[in-house]
Amino acid sequence: MAARAFQRLPSAPAGRILVLRLAAIVLSLFIIAGVLALSGHSPVTLAELILRSTLGSRFGLEDLALFMCPLLLTGAAVTVCGTIGLWNIGAEGQFYAGAIAATGVALGLHGPAVVLLPIMTIAGILGGMAWITVPTLARAYAGVNEIITTLLLNFIASLLTYYLTTGPWRDRISGAQVSTQRLPVAIPEMWGIVHWGFPVAIVIVVGLALVLSRTRWGYEIRIGGANPEAARYAGIPVRLRIISVMLLSGALAGLAGMFEVAGTVHRLQGGMANNFGYLGIVVAVLARGSCLNVIPAALLMALILDSGIVMQTQQLSASVVLAITGLILFMIAIGDELAHYRPVASTTPKGKAS
Amino acid sequence: MITLLTGMLATAVLAGGVLALAALGEVLAERVGVTNLGVEGLMALGAVTAVMTVSSVSSPWVGLLVAGLVGAAGGMVFAFGAVVMRANQVLCGLATTFMGLGLSTALGHNYAGQPVTTTFGHVSVPVLSSIPVIGPALFGQNILIVPIYVLLPALVHFVMFRTRHGLNMRAVGENPAAADAAGIPVMAMRFWYVTLGGAMAGLAGGYLTLTYVPVWSEGMVAGRGWIALALVIFAGYRPVIVTLSALLFGLVTALSFVGQAHNWPIDPAFLNMLPYLGTMAFIIVPVVVWHRMRRVMAAPAALAQPYYRDVR
Repeated sequence: MAARAFQRLPSAPAGRILVLRLAAIVLSLFIIAGVLALSGHSPVTLAELILRSTLGSRFGLEDLALFMCPLLLTGAAVTVCGTIGLWNIGAEGQFYAGAIAATGVALGLHGPAVVLLPIMTIAGILGGMAWITVPTLARAYAGVNEIITTLLLNFIASLLTYYLTTGPWRDRISGAQVSTQRLPVAIPEMWGIVHWGFPVAIVIVVGLALVLSRTRWGYEIRIGGANPEAARYAGIPVRLRIISVMLLSGALAGLAGMFEVAGTVHRLQGGMANNFGYLGIVVAVLARGSCLNVIPAALLMALILDSGIVMQTQQLSASVVLAITGLILFMIAIGDELAHYRPVASTTPKGKAS
Repeated sequence: MITLLTGMLATAVLAGGVLALAALGEVLAERVGVTNLGVEGLMALGAVTAVMTVSSVSSPWVGLLVAGLVGAAGGMVFAFGAVVMRANQVLCGLATTFMGLGLSTALGHNYAGQPVTTTFGHVSVPVLSSIPVIGPALFGQNILIVPIYVLLPALVHFVMFRTRHGLNMRAVGENPAAADAAGIPVMAMRFWYVTLGGAMAGLAGGYLTLTYVPVWSEGMVAGRGWIALALVIFAGYRPVIVTLSALLFGLVTALSFVGQAHNWPIDPAFLNMLPYLGTMAFIIVPVVVWHRMRRVMAAPAALAQPYYRDVR
């Protein structure tokens, strides 16, 4: 038998992951540059343009922060669910539900922003939680696969938004299509067009990281994800933990929707979730189950979205960004697996003197 | 009443066919232990390439063939990550869906909104199509209905449960280590069945644009790939049951069509929610009502688990 040159480790060292991920991203960029070159675009000019209009300009940086805000929260939503070993693919729907609930409050109640904004925040959180309730209970009590149930609700939320923005809540003032009127209140801005939701999102993510790593609840969640049988044996109420984690996940995504509608878009619009829910999955994967890592992961994802704006000005459709995200995700999935392998000193056949 | 029923069943058979093809392909992949969450993206790619093909070659068969080949190629890309490299199947699947949806929109940019003129035309089987209600639906629409609802599921059922190869195939999904020890090529089995499943997802997309909705637009697959995945779970990974549930599911879709055609006092947005709500009910209600269902309809034991020969 020939000696194996590689050994698979049960968990991959962080350093190797980082190196292989960089390699995965670089390889993806080369593939993208190749495809762009083949379709008659110059990758070099495009790259220069992207760098100049994202990191190199004030507007680019403001957009970056605005993209990061929902990604931080949806990324955290998927991450907390992942801690207990579940996939929340429905952050998109919970985002809509949060946005709808917050809009309902803003359109239905009258009062100063100081009063309305907290109520809208609570409504957004409750909206997101309500949207994940059925998948949560089905998972906890009947073991129904949460990937499918959370995902199906995305389509329903999107249709509901479409119905509201073309029907009962349609804009009767300026007549905007598939949109409500401009909301009477907005989250105040702190830097250019960047609203206070952005620092709040960062604080929430850091707080979550602390809760998950420092509290008993967080510990029980992590054990429940790592080894459900052992957790049950140790007396951890796994079912209750599943319910609390999934509801928290829905709450985070709902809050993302509230921030987006009250801070960035200022209206409820059809299609406003903009794939933030799905991209939250990518952010969570990049973060590898750590809430603190969600911050740099959201930054990377926001950079990709920000460059998407530039691409659109260059006659490349916005959907190219989705394809690029998919390619990077695919390469990183492979890179993460390869990081588990450690080269073993090639064992020379026995008896052969060294 | 009879015309209503006939019309509804005809729509149900058309709508269900798309799901039946995609779900049957996914049954193949999941039975060898691989969850392919890329079905939605592969269907979109199949749908758009079929439209692009028939716009230059006026034969629906060539369009369908290209859709199938593109689906197979996409399935191979997924299988390269999830089977050959043994990367996380959920991630590879989502990545495949992202790539498929993004690429199909970019490719179909110039074809969006244009009606497809080359489609599978109406075929009437002489005697059979005059059977009331079910005749027009099954034998009076297009030529692919009988293959999709009868021939393919029967073939898959026979191979899977009546042949040595099918036994090997199921062994790979239940216990790859034992299958490997018995000399079954686990990797090759997984790779080729995932590829075949991808090809069927591509065919499903092509069938969608060449018969049921003859126009390409962004987002037209509209979650059908995800619904197909849910049907596989609902049907307990069984080829014949999955085909029947696709038809049942087509009926739910047809209900929303009938509602819109007859101006029911319900907003179309709510009628459009029916397929998704129906799927939710399909996968939740049976397990809640009938607890034994969970055991009878259990997933292959090694589903979504990569197989490492040297790690036990």
